[in-house]
Amino acid sequence: MKLAINTVQILLLLLLAPLVRGVIARLKARIQNRHGASVWRPYADLLKLFRKEDLVPDSASFVFRLAPIVLFTSTLVAAAFVPLLHGSALLDATGDFVLLVYLLALGRFFLMLGAMDGGSSFGGMGASREALVSTLAEAPFLLALVSVAIAARSNSIAGMVRWTLVQDFFQFSAVHALAFAALALVAIAETGRVPVDNPTTHLELTMIHEAMVLEYSGPSLALIEWASAIKLTVIMALLIALFVPWGAASSLSAMAIGIASLVLLVKIAALVLTLALVESSVAKLRMYLVPDFLGVASALAILAVVFTALMR
Amino acid sequence: MTQVAFSLFLVATLSVPLVTLMSHRWTKARALPPILLMGSLAVGIAVAAAGFYGGQKFVVDVSQVASFSFALSVDRLSAFFLLLICSVSLPVILFSSSYIPRHYSGARRHWLWVLLPLFLMSMVLVATASTPFAFLFGWELMTLFSAGLILIDGDSEQRRHNIFVYLLMMHAGAAAVIGAFLLFLPHAGNFAEMRASAAAMPPSLRTAVFLLAFVGFGTKAGIVPLHLWLPRAHPIAPSPVSALMSGVMLKTAIYGFVRFAFDFLGGGPSWWGYLVLLAGCVSGLLGVLYAIAEHDLKRLLAYHSVENIGIIYLGLGAALVFTANHAPLWAALALAAALLHCLNHAIFKSLLFLGAGAISDAAHTLDLEELGGLQKRMRVTGAVFLIACCSIVGLPLFNGFVSEWLTFRSFLAGSEMTSLSAAIILPLAAGVLALIGGLAAACFAKVYGVAFLGRPRSREAESANEVSLPMQAGMGALATACVVIGVFPGLVLRSMGKLTEELLPGVALPQAATSLSGVLPGIALFVLVLVAAIAALKRTKKLTATWACGLPGLNERMQYTSTAFSKPLRKVFSQVYKSDRTVEVVPGGPPYFPVSISYRSVRTTSFEKSLYRPGVDAIVAAAHRLRQLQTGNIQIYLLYIFAALIALLVFMRFV
Amino acid sequence: MGLFETAAAKALASSGVFLFMTVLLIAAAKRTSTCIGLFSVQSLVITAQIVAASRMHHLAEGFVIAAMVLTVKVVAIPYALYRIVEELKAPRDVSSSTSSSQSVFIAAGLILLSFFAVRPYIGVLGGDQAMLAASVALVLTGGFLMISRKKALMQVVGLLVLDNGIFLAALTTTFGMPLVIEIGIVFDLLMGVFLMGLFVFRIRDTFNHVDVSKLRRLRG
Repeated sequence: MKLAINTVQILLLLLLAPLVRGVIARLKARIQNRHGASVWRPYADLLKLFRKEDLVPDSASFVFRLAPIVLFTSTLVAAAFVPLLHGSALLDATGDFVLLVYLLALGRFFLMLGAMDGGSSFGGMGASREALVSTLAEAPFLLALVSVAIAARSNSIAGMVRWTLVQDFFQFSAVHALAFAALALVAIAETGRVPVDNPTTHLELTMIHEAMVLEYSGPSLALIEWASAIKLTVIMALLIALFVPWGAASSLSAMAIGIASLVLLVKIAALVLTLALVESSVAKLRMYLVPDFLGVASALAILAVVFTALMR
Repeated sequence: MTQVAFSLFLVATLSVPLVTLMSHRWTKARALPPILLMGSLAVGIAVAAAGFYGGQKFVVDVSQVASFSFALSVDRLSAFFLLLICSVSLPVILFSSSYIPRHYSGARRHWLWVLLPLFLMSMVLVATASTPFAFLFGWELMTLFSAGLILIDGDSEQRRHNIFVYLLMMHAGAAAVIGAFLLFLPHAGNFAEMRASAAAMPPSLRTAVFLLAFVGFGTKAGIVPLHLWLPRAHPIAPSPVSALMSGVMLKTAIYGFVRFAFDFLGGGPSWWGYLVLLAGCVSGLLGVLYAIAEHDLKRLLAYHSVENIGIIYLGLGAALVFTANHAPLWAALALAAALLHCLNHAIFKSLLFLGAGAISDAAHTLDLEELGGLQKRMRVTGAVFLIACCSIVGLPLFNGFVSEWLTFRSFLAGSEMTSLSAAIILPLAAGVLALIGGLAAACFAKVYGVAFLGRPRSREAESANEVSLPMQAGMGALATACVVIGVFPGLVLRSMGKLTEELLPGVALPQAATSLSGVLPGIALFVLVLVAAIAALKRTKKLTATWACGLPGLNERMQYTSTAFSKPLRKVFSQVYKSDRTVEVVPGGPPYFPVSISYRSVRTTSFEKSLYRPGVDAIVAAAHRLRQLQTGNIQIYLLYIFAALIALLVFMRFV
Repeated sequence: MGLFETAAAKALASSGVFLFMTVLLIAAAKRTSTCIGLFSVQSLVITAQIVAASRMHHLAEGFVIAAMVLTVKVVAIPYALYRIVEELKAPRDVSSSTSSSQSVFIAAGLILLSFFAVRPYIGVLGGDQAMLAASVALVLTGGFLMISRKKALMQVVGLLVLDNGIFLAALTTTFGMPLVIEIGIVFDLLMGVFLMGLFVFRIRDTFNHVDVSKLRRLRG
């Protein structure tokens, strides 16, 4: 039964991810006084791309076609670590947060290689900028998770969720507040949203993620787009699971799971709305101000770790 | 039985130089030295495995026969390092059996085959010595033979200067190590005596021993600021020798440090651990930052060795802090992490250097700016180099991840200590390790992306061909080891637990260490199935030209170069790279169209400018002033002798 | 009512966390209006503290003080400052000598310093560790803001944050000072802000800018 629910969790993440992207785009459009595309647009895009053929540059090697596959696979495995509906996930017992962070790093590494294999200047530019952002984002990401792990006395995401579930909602702890602030900033950098990167830009000089995928087409591009949608959803699910998990099912009855699904939808909707508001009201940062942005996240994460020792 | 095998291994290895010298006339016997060496290394692996996995101990004691104290004994720690040395050297020698005949001929080739086994023997000596005399004998021989191997490659003015710096720093380090041994007198006969007497030493003497060992072994290992010789010596050696120096020789320094800090001294106050942690953090960060700015492949790899030694020192520092805080369980985990990283680094660093050797063999250049598109022309080399890059970055399913994960786990345990400083500093060190890992990922994305992917940037890269079969086989063996240890870490971890039990008596590895070996094979299988499924699905592909947003006339110089790739990171960390820049503009008629612009940027590492140069200048100035004592006048010299005599009399009378 | 009571009680107990977050956010803020808004939030938290402490000690004048602080520090002064920012028509950014992330690192260091500074005094004075540390952190951050921000208006904001810190320290240790003194302090502050507002316009009219780092005519 547990296995079935955990598999359903992953499938939910897999299938809901494009919808999340569609809803964010629609909300942004509404906030900016435009009509916006339908929320089901990303699904149509994926179907269209899967039916086309892969166009591969003649100078590219096998890494070009391997990269999207590795990216998709590693993101999917990372999704198996995050508990959504109840306090456990498919790979929860030893699925600890270091493995989660490094699986996402594996996907990103291969995406950078694939970008450089295209043989154009934009691929190298995207890879070089992505190297800058991901290098500086990795330390605050890990440190914020370290601080929550120390507070929860557990290494696995599911363990941290179970600990938070038995805490008091109103007992705000400095560690969690700081870790949440740090993770929120890192989440924006990791998922490539404004103010770090604009996912809908068509000016090459402002691209980071988009520049890396300029040479891709067909099923490879579909895998990359899907993987980035899954990554966005996984990071949102991580934020929800670690900091506001109340409402998750404590037993495995159908009623509890049903309530948990509804609560989850509400929480994701709230996060989506916040993200759309932030993206519409803040300007994209100049690239050399992004280290400043991530420096703030690092300071908050370091303070969170120090507080775990001070507030014992 | 294993005693006999060990002696056979020693004799066989020592015989290779003799065979080389005897057979240098017969062309038919050219292949004999490498085959003999590989055979003896195989015996060595078997012996070491018996020692590490089986726990057998054996001794070769010459002191009973000769009059000086020279004895070898193999316990679990020595067996581990012996296994490291032999199992990494075997593929390297396989690689060299084809590499050396292609690049060296005549006398140089023979000297290579004479010095290589002697170099290996000296490292074995260091790892298995059980008397200070044998240890120091091997230690000095390591330096001399490696310098000789470097010299074989050529002796231009620049190379001789670099070798001079190498020998100088190695001897300074050796002096500190000798000092550390001397402080054990009069109980310095063999290691067992030293171990017994260390318990009774006063704390100030223990601190002195620790500091001397730290400096001495640190110079050999290459921690910042004692690392200056690494980027000078490793790049100028022949590629297989660089692989051995970077992969194996640096680990003997770690072996020495572990022997002193954990075996003899048995840990100490926590400031020892913090000192080692600091050295690890600084080396790790500065090593990888300097590496990012390099575009000569071997210098870049040399700086990465500094970084990985820093990571090993992070683990050792954590282990020392835990022993000081009476948490031997976590000390065992940290020590196991550090030692496993020794093995992993030996494997993937040698693989990287062998790959560099293959690149220089095929494309005749090691400058990243001149390479490109090698993956399509050298499939096997490219694939194994990719595996090595993934390992050194620490990506899951490769061996680098396992040791980094264990190090992270031990840092997290620091939060359970009662000491406030341990609870704060150890988890923060995890952040430093994460930053180092991120920087390494950026650097190796650059290396692999610029050298192997995209389009060739020069004629040589265009005409590169796959290397010969023995070279591929050697690299392939190391790459297989990377993946096997990455997916099945339990193979090494179980016996590692028994090793730490010997050094830190009474504790086995905590459950956390073995939990990873449960989940990794499952993830690997899942990933493999998924990748295969998806790859099988998308069958249709069509080759076109690179699109690049419709830009016409795209050529290979428009790709990102290595310098361009690292520019954002170099700009962010610009405090580290104080480079001298000169821009010369030769103006033409209109102001925006000059005839030529030349840009030159020279980087001297800040350590040379701010630490070493003033020190050297001060010493030279002091020496100048002392020269005045040397007047050349015989009566002044008599005066000196007389004054010394009077001083002695006074001293004896009044003290 | 019972749930609300317990929820409110627990939230107040962890209001130190809110104050630390405002300290860090004020250090990271890039616009003057953000800083003013954060000061308003800080004062709101302090007002809540006063109300809670008054209920606990059953002091009627505590509510008067709370009302005063609410009107003056949460509403009046921030509104006045917003109006000044609008009228000045100067660029809205906080001209700072340290970058955003450097300021946050310094603010984090000041928070840690205040924790270590109040450690010996926890048992001796009344009040819990987090609130005492928060008050010292507010004082230090106010000083840091005054030192590093070059706009004249930011000097005012820094001074206000500093005063908040002193107020909070008095609140936690002795539950405030006598009513008369409290009223006096608050009105002094109000007058100070209006005077400063007037002066800012005079500075702008005389020198054509409000950058205090350029006001160096008193150099010897």
